[in-house]
Amino acid sequence: MRAIRIIAVNTFREALRDRVLYLFLGFAILLMASSKIFGILTVGEQDKIIKDLGLAGIQFFLMLIAVMMSVILVSREIDSKTVYYLLAKPVRRWQFLLGKYAGLILVVLVNLVLMTVILVFFVWLYGGGFDPRLFLATGMIGVEMAVLIAFAVLFSVLTKPILGSVFTLAVFVVGHLSQDLWLLTRHLPGSLGRTLVSVLYYLVPNFERFNFKTEVVHQLPIPAAAIGLALVYGCFFTGLVLVLACVRFERRDLQ
Amino acid sequence: MSEVQLRIHDLWKTFHPGLFESSVEVLRGLSLEVDKGEIFGFLGPNGAGKTTTIKAVTGLVIPDRGEISIADQPHDSMQAKRLIGFMAESPYLYTYLTGREYLRFSAELLEIESAEIDDRVESTLARVSMTDRADRKMRTFSKGMLQRIALGQALLGDPQLLILDEPMSGLDPVGRRDVRDIILEQKDRGVTVFFSSHIIPDVETVCDRVATVIAGSVRGIGAVRELIAREVESYEVTFTDLDPKSVTTPVASVHRGSDAAWVRVDAERRDTLIRELADRGARLVSLTPVQSSLEELLLRQYEEAAS
Repeated sequence: MRAIRIIAVNTFREALRDRVLYLFLGFAILLMASSKIFGILTVGEQDKIIKDLGLAGIQFFLMLIAVMMSVILVSREIDSKTVYYLLAKPVRRWQFLLGKYAGLILVVLVNLVLMTVILVFFVWLYGGGFDPRLFLATGMIGVEMAVLIAFAVLFSVLTKPILGSVFTLAVFVVGHLSQDLWLLTRHLPGSLGRTLVSVLYYLVPNFERFNFKTEVVHQLPIPAAAIGLALVYGCFFTGLVLVLACVRFERRDLQ
Repeated sequence: MSEVQLRIHDLWKTFHPGLFESSVEVLRGLSLEVDKGEIFGFLGPNGAGKTTTIKAVTGLVIPDRGEISIADQPHDSMQAKRLIGFMAESPYLYTYLTGREYLRFSAELLEIESAEIDDRVESTLARVSMTDRADRKMRTFSKGMLQRIALGQALLGDPQLLILDEPMSGLDPVGRRDVRDIILEQKDRGVTVFFSSHIIPDVETVCDRVATVIAGSVRGIGAVRELIAREVESYEVTFTDLDPKSVTTPVASVHRGSDAAWVRVDAERRDTLIRELADRGARLVSLTPVQSSLEELLLRQYEEAAS
């Protein structure tokens, strides 16, 4: 655990010293601040628009942070060979990967908390009152990001940084179209196409399971079972993908 | 009998770069043993397999076949890793950290007690002459300064086996002298030093023993003097009482002094020449083997391997 913690803290420190992080954070705050303008367009539904836009903005910018930072921070370590000095010390390869993962989670978590507090503040400022359920919605976005970062770590050890970013982005997009994929399997004429789409459906997590934005924005009830199921689902996928990443990295030559 | 600190036995490694590129066999049954407390040089031209061997020892490359042990422990065990201090060919460091921050980070990974970290970092910075520049971000460092910090992180854990890949490349004369001093100082402390280089004077100056590696396998191993002595190519023969130009045995060069004459003869014609001198009544004054330099030895091994 010691090595994982040390590497995680260093990864977090590296992210904090990267300007890209602040750029994304700045854009996210700007979007939330400007949501009032969109709110004006919808009479009587201002707070809903602010919440909707704010949550979508948090999800989008956290996704960008997760994809960019994950691929940068893991691939850069391998490409710039700084990993040589880590792995020649009493550090296991899986400890290195889990340390990087934990550091990235910390980066996303800090940004998530910051963005959520700012959103709650803007909702209150624009007259929407204090809505604690916003924390639930953003918390589930955090779970989604934990799964996505696991994929980014996997792609970082499998391929080059650019391809890694593209693949992680593809997982995010396909993961949100999961329901559509399922419907597609029923309507595709050929069996080959159906098989391919089915494989994709089962390989990529259904990110819509973590989406509670509509329920929070429109004050709809959220069954506890749905939250529990989403948490178990997220843990399962994260664990599985991280194990795959560790297994692959264990046998990789660092040239 | 001396204790073996590093044992490499029958190491094979082939890299497979990609679908459309041919495989490269880098190590071909490489074997060697490094005794405890010695400075062992690993000498060879670029592409001979030196860095791959070092990466295999440090666990960065996974060999296809073969065994590596450090103080009788498997090289990839945590016990073995705790004994190693490693410096790579180029100083691959986190440039967003300061030199001091990096050494602190390394000390934590080396499982040094928290109470001890500050003292250890400061003494290491002093050892590599970086105390006054330790709070600058490493992105502002020159290559020599980065090299010093990289050497510092290798020394930080008081290793029993110091593995240095081309430690003096890219350094100015002062830097090279400092690294040489540190290597010799480590030997005095009982540390085993295994270092690769293609700069022969570096190896000749500090090493107790060397291994020459060509095309992925060891071609020669022993003390520098011993290796060179095995490679006698010719002899200088000094004699009197005979005109050297009248010698019929083919010789490479002829010189006549006021008292004596000397000729250089190939090793295989030495006995023929001595017999001729004796038959013709000449007096043999001296017979001196002409040894090749380590560089010549390496070049010859390289040519043999190529042919």
